[in-house]
Amino acid sequence: MTHRLKDYRLWCLLFALIAMLVLFIIPSKKQKSPTYNYTFIIDITRSMNATDYQQDNQAVSRLSFVKQTLRDLLRDLPCQSKVGIGLFTERRSTLLFEPLEVCSAYTEIDTVISKIDWRMAWAADSNIAKGLLSTLDMLKKSDSSVIFITDGQEAPPVNVNYQADFSGLRGQVKGMIIGVGGLQTVPIPKFNSQGEQTGFYKPEDVPHRSSFGQSTLAPSQIKGYNARNAPFGNDVVTGNEHLTALQETYLEKLSAESGLGYARLADLQSLALALKNSKLATEKLVQTDIRWQWALLTLLMISLVYLPGIYQYHRFFR
Amino acid sequence: MNLAVSTPWGLAGLLLVLLPLFTSGMQASATPWLALMPADRLSSFIDAGLRLCAMTVIAALVLGMAGLHRTEQSLERIGHGAHVVLLLDRSSSMDNSFAGRAPNANNDGKDAEESKSGAARRLLTDFVKHRETGLIGVAEYSTSPLFVMPLTENKTAVQAAISATATPALGFTHVSKGLGMALSFFQQQSVTGSRIVLLVSDGAAVIDHDSEQKLREWFKQQQVRLYWIFLRTANSPGIFDKPEDSRDDNAQAMPELYLHKFFLSLGSPYQAYEAESPDALKQAIADINQLENLPMHYFERIPKQDLSATCYRVAGLLLLVLLAVKFCEVKR
Repeated sequence: MTHRLKDYRLWCLLFALIAMLVLFIIPSKKQKSPTYNYTFIIDITRSMNATDYQQDNQAVSRLSFVKQTLRDLLRDLPCQSKVGIGLFTERRSTLLFEPLEVCSAYTEIDTVISKIDWRMAWAADSNIAKGLLSTLDMLKKSDSSVIFITDGQEAPPVNVNYQADFSGLRGQVKGMIIGVGGLQTVPIPKFNSQGEQTGFYKPEDVPHRSSFGQSTLAPSQIKGYNARNAPFGNDVVTGNEHLTALQETYLEKLSAESGLGYARLADLQSLALALKNSKLATEKLVQTDIRWQWALLTLLMISLVYLPGIYQYHRFFR
Repeated sequence: MNLAVSTPWGLAGLLLVLLPLFTSGMQASATPWLALMPADRLSSFIDAGLRLCAMTVIAALVLGMAGLHRTEQSLERIGHGAHVVLLLDRSSSMDNSFAGRAPNANNDGKDAEESKSGAARRLLTDFVKHRETGLIGVAEYSTSPLFVMPLTENKTAVQAAISATATPALGFTHVSKGLGMALSFFQQQSVTGSRIVLLVSDGAAVIDHDSEQKLREWFKQQQVRLYWIFLRTANSPGIFDKPEDSRDDNAQAMPELYLHKFFLSLGSPYQAYEAESPDALKQAIADINQLENLPMHYFERIPKQDLSATCYRVAGLLLLVLLAVKFCEVKR
């Protein structure tokens, strides 16, 4: 008996069997892991057609870059995270579907993102502050984080007297504004009713100032002022509203007012980092499979039993 | 049997399987030379058996750790069902009740009236829940068409899309673009079972000549059946109304009637329901559920099966054998 107990192999086998028993008794443990719940609201106004992103050495539009990045991001999200998709145009957004679990509905979400098109826009204005306000109002009851993806190009320009007031919603909704586009101005492509590009928007195609409500200037300062017929004067206003660039300071201001975070979309890594770093994650208890740990221990033990003893070969080294 | 592992590099551990070939896993005994012993067939059988046992234990452990599984399979079956595209009207009037009022307005303490979109949402969710086989997709339209959910078996996804219509409605009614979008869902699908576009709207619009031509062509090509559930608001013109005045007999004055006439002329099976209340809507949906159960080929998905538990069980059992044998070892 003493001989038998001296054999280390016996102990190894016993230990291996115990590890196997533990494997069957405690196959998994609860582990905290972050999951996410995002509702992406994607700006599909015309300025999102401007091509100032590069992908595989080809210029791509802001919208297609956003779509590609979101599809890549979808693959990165851990299971049990949820993603919903909505579209923004005019002065509000619509939800295509409520947040869905990413692993079970991956194909569906991916297909929907790939089908997003600027022609889904039901109206052509792009009033971002109002859109953001109505989106936050629409989603304030959901527990999803709003990720508002836009280039910040207001069209027509906003009259500073009539700005959106976020004070009522501040802090009720968590989320981020993601700025899209380059800082250099680029022209906005113009399409005909068949969806073919017919050049770019020209200065005479777009309004360069707001003509809504009352002017911010006193009537005496407005050239050609007429209270009824020309409340903004009769000057021809020219500007750069036919060109577009990422209005970063404007979006940062909006994000500060609405209590959302802000990040610029440069590539997948930076977006993923911005979305995962912020306080948007919820820790969920997820059952994690730990059987491999016990199996590894067993494997180690059984390998020890069959490890060729060095003493068998020492004659080769002599 | 489509086997796969989740962490392929883990298979490198299979090299350890070779170990029992080199050693017996037993302490060398003091017998000087094995060749002195007469060859014994039984002994070599037991020896080979034990080594095989150990090799199997190692292999099973490694495969278990690498996450051996059977991949997702699809089994072709023949059943009854349909491919249904729900085409939902998101125009602003859908948020009113069947009586043409905004819900909650002036209800004198009675229950709030249900909006048309609310009733449609509730009953369609039910409809989706009770479809057993087949695919369902969702498209919406207002001024422009929206691609909402591709044809899918995932009922949760379809229901998430339907419940998202609770957000405020959008704009006008541009039905031809919506129909075009709905028909495009069938473009890459093989023709099997019945293909249905279920149009739920509360108004109609004039379809221009070009779109009319295209829609005719597509309906014929795709062999799609059309169901139109018209949610009629009280005192508004219906689908089956005849114009009282011949001067009103044109598409601009009576778009509902003319859209109905256009659908009738498509040549593909078409059925219209006029629902003036949530109950009538329920009846219409139940009807369609009954009708649309043609034989169809479909693929039943058998989800991926984890085989690592089996691996571990085998390893555990054989390990027990090895240990039992170990106790039989004779030591001097």
